[in-house]
Amino acid sequence: MGIEVGLNCPACSGAIKVVEGETTVNCQYCGSMLFVEGDAGVTTISFKNMITRETAVISSASWWKKGFKARDLKRVGQVTECYPIYIPFWSTTTRVAGWICGYEERTHSDGKRTYTERIPKEELILRDYRFSEIACDPGDLGIRKMRNIDGETALTDFQTIPTFESTTSKDDAFAHAKESAMANARSDAHVPHITFENVHVFPESMSMVYYPIWVVRYTYRDRMYLNTVDGVTGSVLSGRAPGDPLFQSLAVTAGTSIGGLLGATGIIVASSSGEVAIGCFVVGLIIMVGTYLFFRGGSEITEGDFSDRGFKLGDLKNVASQLTQGRVGGNNWGDI
Amino acid sequence: MQVIQVKCPKCGNPIYSKQKDTVFYCTTCGTMHIRNGGVQVLDVEIGDFNKNAPQDRVYVPFWRMYSTVVINNVRSEGGGFQKLTSWFREGDNSGNLFIWVPASEMEIERFKNMAMDFTLNPPPYNTRMDFGTVPRLPTVMRQEEAKEMADFVVVTIEAEKPGVLQYLDYTLTVHDAKLIYLPFVSTQQGLVPAF
Ligand SMILES: [Zn+2]
Repeated sequence: MGIEVGLNCPACSGAIKVVEGETTVNCQYCGSMLFVEGDAGVTTISFKNMITRETAVISSASWWKKGFKARDLKRVGQVTECYPIYIPFWSTTTRVAGWICGYEERTHSDGKRTYTERIPKEELILRDYRFSEIACDPGDLGIRKMRNIDGETALTDFQTIPTFESTTSKDDAFAHAKESAMANARSDAHVPHITFENVHVFPESMSMVYYPIWVVRYTYRDRMYLNTVDGVTGSVLSGRAPGDPLFQSLAVTAGTSIGGLLGATGIIVASSSGEVAIGCFVVGLIIMVGTYLFFRGGSEITEGDFSDRGFKLGDLKNVASQLTQGRVGGNNWGDI
Repeated sequence: MQVIQVKCPKCGNPIYSKQKDTVFYCTTCGTMHIRNGGVQVLDVEIGDFNKNAPQDRVYVPFWRMYSTVVINNVRSEGGGFQKLTSWFREGDNSGNLFIWVPASEMEIERFKNMAMDFTLNPPPYNTRMDFGTVPRLPTVMRQEEAKEMADFVVVTIEAEKPGVLQYLDYTLTVHDAKLIYLPFVSTQQGLVPAF
């Protein structure tokens, strides 16, 4: 379910809990029925920071060791700054009820001929989806969603650490919550060709949740990097780190070999099929140029929601399409 | 942002309850009200229990909505008779009916089945003035949500008949929404009507 918030009963002062988005609660001590009146319909909740600077640094250092990051990062990396900040998120649960109808096409072959079968489908959607989205400009922190909803909370600010000002509107957040629930519902329905759709979306009341995040800035061989640590769970949420040179060069070799091979294939089949040959040759060339450009500025490993991402294996296949659109530059892949 | 103690809009007495409920019932004067921006007193109907109904009695809240449905066009794969249109007067593509939607939290299949059953076979019950000593399930569905769920019930009735629904063109007008508490008995198989 949603986030639980601690508060005191106005009738008997007993300590009670109310679930985010719910407006009624009964006091388990005096039995009074209570009603939560939000400001302009928004409940403000903050999570208590549970970790220390030391925990944030230790957690970051163990993250440096994982994956294909530079192998000497743990030894060479130096934390230059480490501080907590509250980040605001819009948060709600959205109930979806409806039907998505249509069909799916399956192609069969009995050896002699192939035929397409049309299988009609009607899917009932009746479920809740959680939604959260950052309510400020996150800059380059690599955070867009709230990952955790368990922890000590209060309706008022804890006010011990600085807070990012919220810059986005509740109405936009509602619109996004509805869109996101609708998209999830369509994806859960698995109806490839939709002929009829009747879906109702009910968002609960919207909350503004302040969540503590530790920002850790560090250097590695004269370059600046950053990662963030969840102030409630203590785990790393997002970050950038230098890639491992050995792994990089292996990937380059693989990339250029495939590129070279395709290029060569292009020349060999040139006599039999002109179009295929040119296609192969061009693709080969693109992959070679792409891998070169990709690593010229030094590679980077990223984790989290960054709009420009560092090195991920899947990126190699995107290089060709980005190249043709002229989006791969020289050094911007590696710089923060 | 504040938390307030709920008081009856009619007699001013604080409302006490063992469970949370979006509908507040004043045990002093019998008034029921909801809070949604402002305070709204509800006109509620309470069904009477069958004299032979066993113990473990409970009241289940429903939104009952008097509605007009017009079916313009419906297409299904695999055929099947038209459930809603068969319910209308012969030759008509429209009719008036009460659409029932469970207002308490319940398992999804049960929610859907109760909505369909009560909408297609209106429950016969006598009314009474109060709940007596019988507990009520909390109401979790708001009135505006119930009106949208009426639309869901219409499509569900068309989709649940034999055949696979491919297209439905219809209009639905909900004229009113009334909260009705119907008598049920808890059994091992779940809730069973007891009117
Ligand atoms: Zn009263």
